[in-house]
Amino acid sequence: MSPIDYLQFVLAPQVVNGLALGVAVVLVALGLTIIFGMLDVINMSHGEFYAIGAYVALAMGAAGIGFWFLLVLVPILMVPLGMAAERLLIRPVFDSKDRHVTTLLVTFGLALIVEDVLKVIFGPNTQRPPTPIPGATDLFGIIVPNYRLFLIAVGALIVAGVAYVVYRTRLGAMVRAAAFDRNMAASLGVPVSLVYAGTFAFGVGLAGLAGVLLAPIYSVFPTMGRDFILLAFTVVIVGGMGSIWGAVVAGLLLTQVQALASLVISPVWTDPIVFGTMVAFLVFRPQGLFGRLGHA
Amino acid sequence: MRDRLTTSMRASHVLALIFVVAALCLAAFGAATGDTFYLRLGTEALIFAGLALSVDLLLGYSGALSLGQALYFGIGAYVSALTLMKVPSFWLAMGAAFLVTLAAAIIGGLIANRVRGVYFALITFGLAQVFAKVVYNTRELGASDGMIGVPVIQIGLGPFSVSAASPAGFFLVVLGIIMGLYALTAYLLDTPFGRVLTALKANEKRVPFLGYSVWRARMAAYVFAGLVAGLSGALYPMLRGFVSPELMFFATSGNAVISVILGGVGTLIGAIYGSVLLVILKSIIGSWTEHHLIVIGLLFMACVMFLPKGMVGFVRPRIERLLGREPAAPEPAPPSSATIKSGSAA
Repeated sequence: MSPIDYLQFVLAPQVVNGLALGVAVVLVALGLTIIFGMLDVINMSHGEFYAIGAYVALAMGAAGIGFWFLLVLVPILMVPLGMAAERLLIRPVFDSKDRHVTTLLVTFGLALIVEDVLKVIFGPNTQRPPTPIPGATDLFGIIVPNYRLFLIAVGALIVAGVAYVVYRTRLGAMVRAAAFDRNMAASLGVPVSLVYAGTFAFGVGLAGLAGVLLAPIYSVFPTMGRDFILLAFTVVIVGGMGSIWGAVVAGLLLTQVQALASLVISPVWTDPIVFGTMVAFLVFRPQGLFGRLGHA
Repeated sequence: MRDRLTTSMRASHVLALIFVVAALCLAAFGAATGDTFYLRLGTEALIFAGLALSVDLLLGYSGALSLGQALYFGIGAYVSALTLMKVPSFWLAMGAAFLVTLAAAIIGGLIANRVRGVYFALITFGLAQVFAKVVYNTRELGASDGMIGVPVIQIGLGPFSVSAASPAGFFLVVLGIIMGLYALTAYLLDTPFGRVLTALKANEKRVPFLGYSVWRARMAAYVFAGLVAGLSGALYPMLRGFVSPELMFFATSGNAVISVILGGVGTLIGAIYGSVLLVILKSIIGSWTEHHLIVIGLLFMACVMFLPKGMVGFVRPRIERLLGREPAAPEPAPPSSATIKSGSAA
């Protein structure tokens, strides 16, 4: 095979598929990293919120609601759920001595329950919603499913939108201020408690949105949240806990490493490589690629 | 004059004694009625109690939450199974599991102890997840099916010999080993080394100023916990005759964490009670519905939020009061884990 052919038929499709996976991972990791950066909470149930989003979209899609409408409706429906979770579960233990461990354990418990509840309601089997955008496009000789192109474009839009809200609006400034110093922010009139609940709900809404977008590609099943969560945590650590740009760069980078490494070695060994990257970052640059939210 | 930690450890020992007596009653009753099912279930609960014990050693004493302790449990189980299939010797299998887990725990400890807190939890989670995935895809280790056909062994205990197939006999062997591990852990925590661990959880920043190496203490605790998990895991193939990658999955690590929280963090015996409680809950709820996770998850969350010292934390202060009658100082008998925990916010 000539180098040009290799580039076109082996390397390029792998890169494009890796990019689609990367966008998917970034979407899941985005909510995770915002919740950590803001509340200092490792949300172990993030994958389950993602699954809830996918199931709600599946059920409403079956009821005849169009995909485009779902893209807006599902994240909005997830917000009260996130608010309730923050108020009822995170808030009571938020000021306990070991916040990291306690909140991690509470959300772990929540994950167990949600997974089983999904099993009760929807059954244990894998379901696949129809692809909203059928067909494929020939991009310079690479055949790419249209939906993946759409996913990449929408993912970029969402990331840009979130970054705009967090870094360029008054609301985002309030969020960053509360993340940096909650007492100071409170005395300057930021409704910190509401900001906390809102941020958590925002992260949960993002997880739900990821669920709607990724369900047509990765199918819907009760334990679907588990598949992404290790990769999402890796992305959050490598990118820097709470950094939006960090999550984007790390998500795209790690999935490309994974995609390209699987050309050379057995895909089984790509996980250790991705994980090895995380370990290397923890050892040499524990704060990740970028600093955390609110700490510039 | 005894300090509070000693008093509360003695209270734990009283609970341990009650546990052993209850277990012996179960063994006698089971042997008399020729029961197999409940004795086997009890043996399995004890084996997983060893795993929970190792989680509690890390979480309750050095304050590090491990979400991947099943890694060492699984390594112990696989090494034991591989050894038994070559040479059916109990002591050789335990010895091999000990050595391999020791090596694995040192490597894992070097990686995981670079970081602390929530990063430690995530890195242990990742370590176990990746290793389980590799085992899951390695054909030589039976891949996703695991390995079956571990022979039934005779366990030589000096002049006696117990068959692993005998429900009551093997139950007693496992009981002896797990309670031995409990006693060893409790003893270790009573040594100066154990006090350094307790100090670590209370205030890590001050420990170096007292002249102790934080890293060395954390590493030692990690390796010891890995060994406890590995030796418990080594018993698993002797009971069930097979090993599977599920032993290393997050569900196994998660169950150990649930056991510790239900039983009581930092009490050691709580991990053992919690593990038994979890098995009982699973089989009771499991007889009504297959969705037992909802109930266990709710119970777990309730414990984290409202009962941070678990079941044992509820019972133990009463025993402490009984034990504490003889010293003159009438302390209000706050449970030890509170004393250990206070100050970790600093």
